[in-house]
Amino acid sequence: MVLVDIRETKSVKAADIFLQVRPGKDFELITILRAMIKDQPISETQIAETGLTMEQLQDFVSRMKAARFGVMFFGMGLSMTRGKHMNSAALLTLAAEMNAFTKFVAMPMRGHGNVTGADVIMRSQTGYPFGISFNRGYPRYNPGEFSTVDVLVRGDTDCAFIIGADPGATMPQPAIDHLARIPTIVLDPHVTHTSRLSRVHITTAPAGISAPGTAYRMDEIPLPLHPALESPYPSDEEVVRRINETLMKKPDWMGERPQILQTQI
Amino acid sequence: MLRITGGTVYDPANGINGEVRDLNVEDGKFVSSVTSGRTIDATGLVIFPGGVDVHTHVAGGSINFARAMTPEDHRRTQAFIRSQTRRSGLGGMAPTTFATGYLYAGMGFTTVNEAAVPVLSARHTHEEMADIPILDKSCLVLMANNEIMLDLLEAGEYERAKHIVAWHIWAAKAYGVKAVNPGGVAAWKWGKDANHLSDPIEGYKNTTPGSIVTSLAKIVDELGIPHPIHLHCNNLGVPGNISTTLETMKHLEGHRAHLAHLQYHAYGGDDWHTMRSEAAQLAEYFNAHPNMTTDAGAVLFGDTVTITADGPWQHLLYKLTGRKWGNLDVENETGCGIVPYSYRPSNLVNAVQWATGLELLLLIDDPWRVFLSTDHPNGACFWRYPEIVQLLMCADFRKECMAGLAPEVMNRITLPEINREYTLYEIATIMSAGPARALGLGQKGNLGVGKDADIVIYHQDKDIARMFGHPRYVIKRGEIVIEEGDIRETPDGNEYLVKPSFDPGTDEFLRPLFEDRYCMSFENYPVEIERIERPEFQQCITSE
Ligand SMILES: [Zn+2]
Repeated sequence: MVLVDIRETKSVKAADIFLQVRPGKDFELITILRAMIKDQPISETQIAETGLTMEQLQDFVSRMKAARFGVMFFGMGLSMTRGKHMNSAALLTLAAEMNAFTKFVAMPMRGHGNVTGADVIMRSQTGYPFGISFNRGYPRYNPGEFSTVDVLVRGDTDCAFIIGADPGATMPQPAIDHLARIPTIVLDPHVTHTSRLSRVHITTAPAGISAPGTAYRMDEIPLPLHPALESPYPSDEEVVRRINETLMKKPDWMGERPQILQTQI
Repeated sequence: MLRITGGTVYDPANGINGEVRDLNVEDGKFVSSVTSGRTIDATGLVIFPGGVDVHTHVAGGSINFARAMTPEDHRRTQAFIRSQTRRSGLGGMAPTTFATGYLYAGMGFTTVNEAAVPVLSARHTHEEMADIPILDKSCLVLMANNEIMLDLLEAGEYERAKHIVAWHIWAAKAYGVKAVNPGGVAAWKWGKDANHLSDPIEGYKNTTPGSIVTSLAKIVDELGIPHPIHLHCNNLGVPGNISTTLETMKHLEGHRAHLAHLQYHAYGGDDWHTMRSEAAQLAEYFNAHPNMTTDAGAVLFGDTVTITADGPWQHLLYKLTGRKWGNLDVENETGCGIVPYSYRPSNLVNAVQWATGLELLLLIDDPWRVFLSTDHPNGACFWRYPEIVQLLMCADFRKECMAGLAPEVMNRITLPEINREYTLYEIATIMSAGPARALGLGQKGNLGVGKDADIVIYHQDKDIARMFGHPRYVIKRGEIVIEEGDIRETPDGNEYLVKPSFDPGTDEFLRPLFEDRYCMSFENYPVEIERIERPEFQQCITSE
């Protein structure tokens, strides 16, 4: 196992080799590796910029090529730092190109909770994983515009429904201020930071402990959840279903709209 | 209750070829008469049984991966707007679940068969299928690269392998068995492929793609699964693969078999420069062997995204196109690859593929054995089927299209010499009655009393693509779902299941093997029957 990081983390103990890359130089490192696997010339100075040496990278490349099945795991340290999605794209390309030599795959390490499950279901129902707006009656995607944090910071919503997340603990202050300003509804087994600034908190049964359901593994394999305990609280699903049923009784508020748009506007 | 009077009826399952008949519907089924209810005057209109797609990819991990890879396409495609009772969605190369139902129903299809499901992610496939409105659905479990089964075949334990297959069909809550590139997908885990039917596959001494094909076909027959083995042959898409395909067909003698997307398996030549169509040779063999059915896997020019469990082929396609490539390996079971692709008339290979699909449809003489498909989304998106119908019914239109091909294509294809034009009766056969029969769904593709009242009513129109793309009415189990292009109702569809019998000791046999190799617990592996929202059981065929 080869670990690449900007500092020595706890994972170093498990790694055979640790490569300490200079902060913000992931893209450069990946691009150099892409060149090296194809035997394209790379100068010592280019490599030195990444904080690593020619010997280290040559050894790394030969280990990758010698593997029978290689996996690259990557996380937010790559996708949320300088270069962002360009870094992920470069790594995915490196993985694809490694297949000219041996079997290689790349896989993102997902965050806590059932974030993969949300991503999978949003994709099947709307085509997009996150950052979706339904305000024109059909799904539109624009991360940076429709992502939760952007919508909140701009103050675009007049109501918030929070489920399976605690933005009150993690989001920037302007987003939190807006959540406190508008009617915010929280569904959570615990009273969270967000619950404290919400108008309504509904306690729900924790999934996998006292509510059934499905959690998706990082590789998108769905696992059934078998509750071990009874809970006096309803599941998230039941609460959402009951809210939906009540909304359905309201008169049609959408007005006349076409069924289909041949071209999106 | 519903009466449809005066329409010109095409019902191949009952030998009715363009006769004026009245249809009566009660409780979702055809009856001989009704006493009240709505009457549709179909005088001057054409009536077909609802369309049945024998091979498509509309639900599950791979199409969902394709959705993730093509946001730019979602943006340029048509959008379905939500109403208080109808969900929103997007069409395009990989339509979203709700839109998939609207689009299929919108062109008169009421039943689809999702052709490739690994057990490990079957739970998710069923979630997506439950989300697809209007259509009745079935799905096939991928078996030909399952390492536990391959190990048993290697050890000569055929009977045990049979129980394992039956167990997996039930575990996946599937309707039948799909075999993709037998041995090749397993070899791909090691970056290899399986190219020769008689060579042992990577990691095995005796087991060959040929022996897997024969054993699985026999197993599916002996288990009495209503739909025969559904086979995606080795060497898909490769020039010269006709020899592999013919060899595979020989391995299937004495068994029922459905060969998927035959277009991709009907090429001559030695490389991309010399590739030519061998549809004529393939059709000749096929015509003489009534144990087989097939679907065309036809190609239409334009943009699409290709997805298949054939991982090695997708890696090759990625290297050829330099476009995006996604690859999934599903533990011990299978894998899949995804590459966006544009078929162009100016591209020699694409032009040969386009002609090959049509040639197969035109040269296989029994419409009960060759079905309309594009292997959606691989050859083209399913919502383009009406264009294929037009190509089949109008030889002049075909000639017009051929004029746009590169001239050097002409001596590599036989399409210019074919004058056959499909009749409406034959179209109703390849689009509905035939695939329903091949799937063993006796209640579908049939307008007879007691059958499911799935009906399409078309305007007579000289513009064939318009006629089939815009039905006047689409009726699902007696309910009008589409009327003149508008979605009226979006009822939920059923899911077809079979439960073949297997040795009750199979669980205990599998458990240690499973715990040794998989990284989920054995109890969590099979899909619980409670998760299937509207199951409808089909009986296995009892052996005589
Ligand atoms: Zn397919």
